[in-house]
Amino acid sequence: MKDGTGASEAAGMDARGAAVIMWEARERARRELTVNCPAIFASWALVYLLGYGVVWLSVRGQQPFHAPAGWALALVTLLALLALGVTAGVTDRAASGVGGVSALRRRIYWLSLAIGLLWDIVMQLALRSAGANRGVLSVFAASAPLLVAGVVLVAGTAAWLNWYMFGLGIWLIAVAAFSGFAGPAGVWAVDALAVGIPFLLMAAITLAPRRS
Amino acid sequence: MSADRLNPVIHAPARLRLMVTLAALPHGDNLSFTRLQDLIGLTPGNLITRLRKLDDVQMTKSGSGVSALTTVALTHEGRAALEHYTAVLRQLLESAEPAQPR
Repeated sequence: MKDGTGASEAAGMDARGAAVIMWEARERARRELTVNCPAIFASWALVYLLGYGVVWLSVRGQQPFHAPAGWALALVTLLALLALGVTAGVTDRAASGVGGVSALRRRIYWLSLAIGLLWDIVMQLALRSAGANRGVLSVFAASAPLLVAGVVLVAGTAAWLNWYMFGLGIWLIAVAAFSGFAGPAGVWAVDALAVGIPFLLMAAITLAPRRS
Repeated sequence: MSADRLNPVIHAPARLRLMVTLAALPHGDNLSFTRLQDLIGLTPGNLITRLRKLDDVQMTKSGSGVSALTTVALTHEGRAALEHYTAVLRQLLESAEPAQPR
């Protein structure tokens, strides 16, 4: 470090003053540079509790199972697009001006998610083309996005080293695997509750004041 | 409480804020000059002056003209210097606290 630079500017700043400045700077950096997760979790909780809930209401009691109502699927799609918008907006705000390894990780993460969702759409078309019945298509449509999100989250935690995210990812994979046993109508209700409630809890946990 | 043992290059309000802010980034990350300016609240001239005094901070300029981007990052030596500064500061604060009655 260069010499002769500190004496005049440091005049009047004692150790306690320095500690206060460090705490304030660290808090501000944490607040500004960290992704604000409560908004993201709350928006995805809305997708599952409201969107999936409405789809379930539209298929509840269908004998034989027919299909979710078009308007209900349109609502889920709209809510998912809004949640993606919130996620991208919040992430971009925190990451603005940050370059290097984190920026590369973010790009890989978004690319993985996009490829996963594309796989979901292509698989639905392939199942339809292979003659899968409406029940199978309903189970797949409800659970495949959870599998994609879960795998991307679990893989992402290798970089973020965040056990909450890891646990959430594993939970999404488990729900995707087992909710199909609830049947083509019940799968929407199980997914709505099994995913929506944990997302709400995560929003509350991440909203709680953090200790520095 | 004496602050003489603290690294004089870091021990100045604006430079301390700069070091702590840059240290909040993970290893391998950098911050654009304009975002750093927003976070610290200094004019470009003041920020440049203070950054130049800290040679454990690495400034990299890429591109040219209006698209030029200057990024700022803390070097390994800078992180080590800040860790040492923090340890000395903690010792000073602990030694200044009155002994707890038993």
